[in-house]
Amino acid sequence: MIFTIFKKELKDTLRDKRTLMMMLVIPVLIFPVILNVFVGISSSFQEEAAQKELKIGFVGEDNNYFLEQLKSLPESMGKKKIIVYKDSVSLKADIKIDSIQIGMFTANNFSSSLENKKPAKLTVFYNATDVGVKKRAETYVKTIEDIALQERYIDLNLDVAQLTPIETSYSNTASDKEMIGKLAGGILPYIFIAFGFLGCMYPAIDLFTGEKERGTIETLLTTPVARWQILFGKMGVVVLSGLLAASAALLGLFFSIEVMDIVENEELLNVVHGILNFKFILLLFLLLLPLTVFFAGIMIPIAVYAKSFKEAQSIITPINLLVVLPAMIGFFPGIKLTMITAMIPVVNIVLSTKELIAGTLDYSLLGVSFAVMILIAVIAVFVSYKQFDKETNVVT
Amino acid sequence: MIEIQNLRKEFVLSKQQRKELNTKDSIATAVDGIDFTCKPGRVFSLLGPNGAGKTTTLRMISTIFKPTAGSIKIDGIDAIANPREARKKIGFLTGSTGLYARLTPNEVIKYFADLYEVPKDKFEERKESLYTLLDMHDFQGKRIGKLSTGMKQKVSICRTMIHDPEVVVFDEPTSGLDVITAENIIELIRSCKNEGKTVIFSSHIMSEVDLLCDDLAIIHKGKMLFNGEMSDFKSQMQTDNLTAEFIRIVKSNTPIES
Repeated sequence: MIFTIFKKELKDTLRDKRTLMMMLVIPVLIFPVILNVFVGISSSFQEEAAQKELKIGFVGEDNNYFLEQLKSLPESMGKKKIIVYKDSVSLKADIKIDSIQIGMFTANNFSSSLENKKPAKLTVFYNATDVGVKKRAETYVKTIEDIALQERYIDLNLDVAQLTPIETSYSNTASDKEMIGKLAGGILPYIFIAFGFLGCMYPAIDLFTGEKERGTIETLLTTPVARWQILFGKMGVVVLSGLLAASAALLGLFFSIEVMDIVENEELLNVVHGILNFKFILLLFLLLLPLTVFFAGIMIPIAVYAKSFKEAQSIITPINLLVVLPAMIGFFPGIKLTMITAMIPVVNIVLSTKELIAGTLDYSLLGVSFAVMILIAVIAVFVSYKQFDKETNVVT
Repeated sequence: MIEIQNLRKEFVLSKQQRKELNTKDSIATAVDGIDFTCKPGRVFSLLGPNGAGKTTTLRMISTIFKPTAGSIKIDGIDAIANPREARKKIGFLTGSTGLYARLTPNEVIKYFADLYEVPKDKFEERKESLYTLLDMHDFQGKRIGKLSTGMKQKVSICRTMIHDPEVVVFDEPTSGLDVITAENIIELIRSCKNEGKTVIFSSHIMSEVDLLCDDLAIIHKGKMLFNGEMSDFKSQMQTDNLTAEFIRIVKSNTPIES
């Protein structure tokens, strides 16, 4: 009997354009759109930054060593145009109006200080709101400083090795998979949770409040089917819709990476290929299942209680924020899956998925997360049953 | 056969409901100890003004609501102790019953036949005879949302009768319908009577009651004011028409012996 109700409700739901939109169309499109916009913006920023001609104002004596070195820096270090100024006042004024981006001021004794093997003073003016300009100035200055230093070593007949007491090299032990998993892995479960919730929302309202509003529930309750069977049949469709929405988002991710080739970054691609495997998807759905049951379990009592679609929607929407916001915790790189975080519903799903992507998942903590989710899902289902069994809630 | 004894239904009022009803009572009594019997092959009419307790009574008979006290027997089955068995015997139709707009008549009828566990061969036979009777063949595959009110009403009737119920409960079945569409319901009630089914219907339209009913009960504020045969009611009338008599009884609010 539960299956008869499930079959009918599924058919009814799949014929509702609004639900289909939220359940399948938007989740499928979300990853291609986000990735396209993200990749498009970041690559256009990089291109723009690389192609942008940097205007550098310079104040200093004639035949200045620094100016000559600056002029001879190769084009590959970024296009630049050097304008010579008489004083620092006009130099700073022009930075303000953005007619130049960097101002380089050398003291009068710059060349003589260099010749006398003393520190020559250079001041670099820049506008910090002009993102990336300081970094380019630092690159130019560091290159010229290195050239000057090498020349000084030769002049003084010094051995570079003797002047380097400690040679340090930093080596990252984390794999690309771990890095991307820990740093960006939170986004993936967040999107699955958000769509899982949205996927549940419309069917929950339609199958409970909608049935009340249309006056069909009364007839259904006069059939020889137990109320819990009606509840479970309908709940099955709500849960399936949430899972379908999350699957549609996963399909969208697969599509954008494998078919549309949006992502070109090889490290990221390797990680994504690594996670889009059977084991990952199976574990992800294993975690999403109790979560979606929990979502259905908190939405159904509201949908049963509400008298109209609008009322149900206005109560469930703020709950969306309450439930989905904790999922954002996954965005913070430092938060890990521990015994404590594994006890926090929703957060435990995000962190487990994150660790799963990073390949550092502790399966005992996964077990705890799963048990906690099952427990709250059971509680939510029980609350739904109690509400659905209340005759004044169901029939208006 | 429907046998009702000392039936009572109380609702606990929420704070908001108390405010809306302007009362300090925490409990509202919708039905206050009523008794009546509906016999097979006869049409029983439950009359009363708005808020009299007609719908609550019919909902208790159909097992949607659980009574606070009293007993209900549907063809000998205790509907309170064994509601699912009782429901198998009942067909329920209200004037405000909606249908699933995204499904077709065929799908709705099959769904309800499955819920009532109608055997496949019996279903096909029953469906064919109802489709022919109600002239439903032309629109059986169209989405219900695209059907006219009259067509929808026919689907509702077919849905109510698909499991061949022995007891049929109609809650203001013609409310909001035009005369032509309402005629389908009148016909249905007549044919149910002729087939020997037990029929109970609630209404406040006296002409409809006069046309159809054999037995009659008038309730007001949850209490029974009259319960007897239509012929007895007519013989005791103190006014010259049924509507005036109905208004007089409700206004006097005193029970009349049949």
